[in-house]
Amino acid sequence: MKITCTIDNKHILLNVNSNKPLNLILMEDVEKNQTYTRCRDGNCGNCVVLLNEEAVLSCLIPAFRLKGVRILTFEGYQKSRFWHDLERAYNDTGSHPCPHCFASKTLIFESLLQMIIKSEAGPSQDEEPDNEVIVHEIGLNTCACLDAQEIIAIFKSAATYRRRRRVRRY
Amino acid sequence: MYEGIRSPAVHMPKTLNDLISASSRFPNATFWAGGTFIMSRNNYYPTRKSKDIISLNEIPELKRINRTDRYLEMGCMVTFEQMLTVGKQVLPGLLQMTLEQTATMIIRRQMTLGGAICTPGVRIALSGTLAALQAEVEIKTSLGTKTETQWIEIERIYNKQGVLQLKKNDLVTRIRVGFERETFSSFLIAGNPMINPEETVMLSFACSYNQSVISRFRMCLTFPTILFLIPLEIDLMMHGTTLPLTSQQIKRVVQSIMEEVQVIATDAVLPIQLERARRFTESTLHELNAQSLSER
Repeated sequence: MKITCTIDNKHILLNVNSNKPLNLILMEDVEKNQTYTRCRDGNCGNCVVLLNEEAVLSCLIPAFRLKGVRILTFEGYQKSRFWHDLERAYNDTGSHPCPHCFASKTLIFESLLQMIIKSEAGPSQDEEPDNEVIVHEIGLNTCACLDAQEIIAIFKSAATYRRRRRVRRY
Repeated sequence: MYEGIRSPAVHMPKTLNDLISASSRFPNATFWAGGTFIMSRNNYYPTRKSKDIISLNEIPELKRINRTDRYLEMGCMVTFEQMLTVGKQVLPGLLQMTLEQTATMIIRRQMTLGGAICTPGVRIALSGTLAALQAEVEIKTSLGTKTETQWIEIERIYNKQGVLQLKKNDLVTRIRVGFERETFSSFLIAGNPMINPEETVMLSFACSYNQSVISRFRMCLTFPTILFLIPLEIDLMMHGTTLPLTSQQIKRVVQSIMEEVQVIATDAVLPIQLERARRFTESTLHELNAQSLSER
């Protein structure tokens, strides 16, 4: 099956099996080394990518759903300006995810930060995820390298930078 | 590495009529809703047994949420996360609790209602909750050139072990839940039905009462791979009972449910599941008592 999509801002034509999972496509056909899984069945949460700006588990996305979509892996995300909010949050709090889950947890944090942007753009102002939700969402990645307090501290710090970024823009 | 592996043909019908004709032309094809269940199986890829795919993603009728005078109607391709945006005024509390406690937001964006109730071997919490809410599903059956449509109660599409009883030419297209609100509802889950189904227990309970007299008492106990129990005789037994329930009544209900579980699930049930089911039932009934007393 031939599919055209955008991966890390590059237009790519893929010729893959229609049911091949996106994580395998990224590893084998596009050779993105930072997206790797250990479980093969959606349980480890290590293969998160942004698909049309929304975080998804790439092992649960088949090739035939990729026509015309924009995929951003951690490699591409690091080139975006939003990465710096999280990078500074990691440095400020002194807590970092371990190298195994760094990419995946960072992209989950990013999807949570996008909730703030959406809520501030829309009519309701109180859609910032509460602490319980933040810890639950990060729990999608089963690696236990960060405790709940560290997760919340990283998110709060990154959210502050993200809000400043919005204020500066207007 | 993938030599000899066929790339399955993917059919993407744009309307319900196209879907029905595709389902009769390709009877062995797999219906693809969100794909979270199919792709989370260990043997999903690579495999030599991959079947053709009929993707339901391009049919707008299946993605609609409608509100009528009596029902909330949801297309089978509506995602869990979309349901949560419907709002507390419209969405039954029990359904909201269930959706919120299912997986994480990232997976809920992909999980669809139709996919969740039609998983072949594993029952997840949504089926039990919809059964407790007496929801109905719209089944379209393709009969050659004709199509038959009927609404049936959701528990009728499963047997007591929770195995899906739909025929090959049956399609679940919509789900509807009545606006009649329960006075008390509870959803409890222990374990994860996708990771360790043999230890997981889920209980959905909806009860309506007026001036402490029970008018509806509906419970659904689910063990993902071996049990889908709606004890209807307890519903009848509790109808007209005055709250709070006595400890004797609670004991009798729990005992009767446990006996039924052991009859249906026989040896397949683990002691941990039995214990969880017993405690869930007990604590739910005590909570019901506490709520009814606090309203006096």
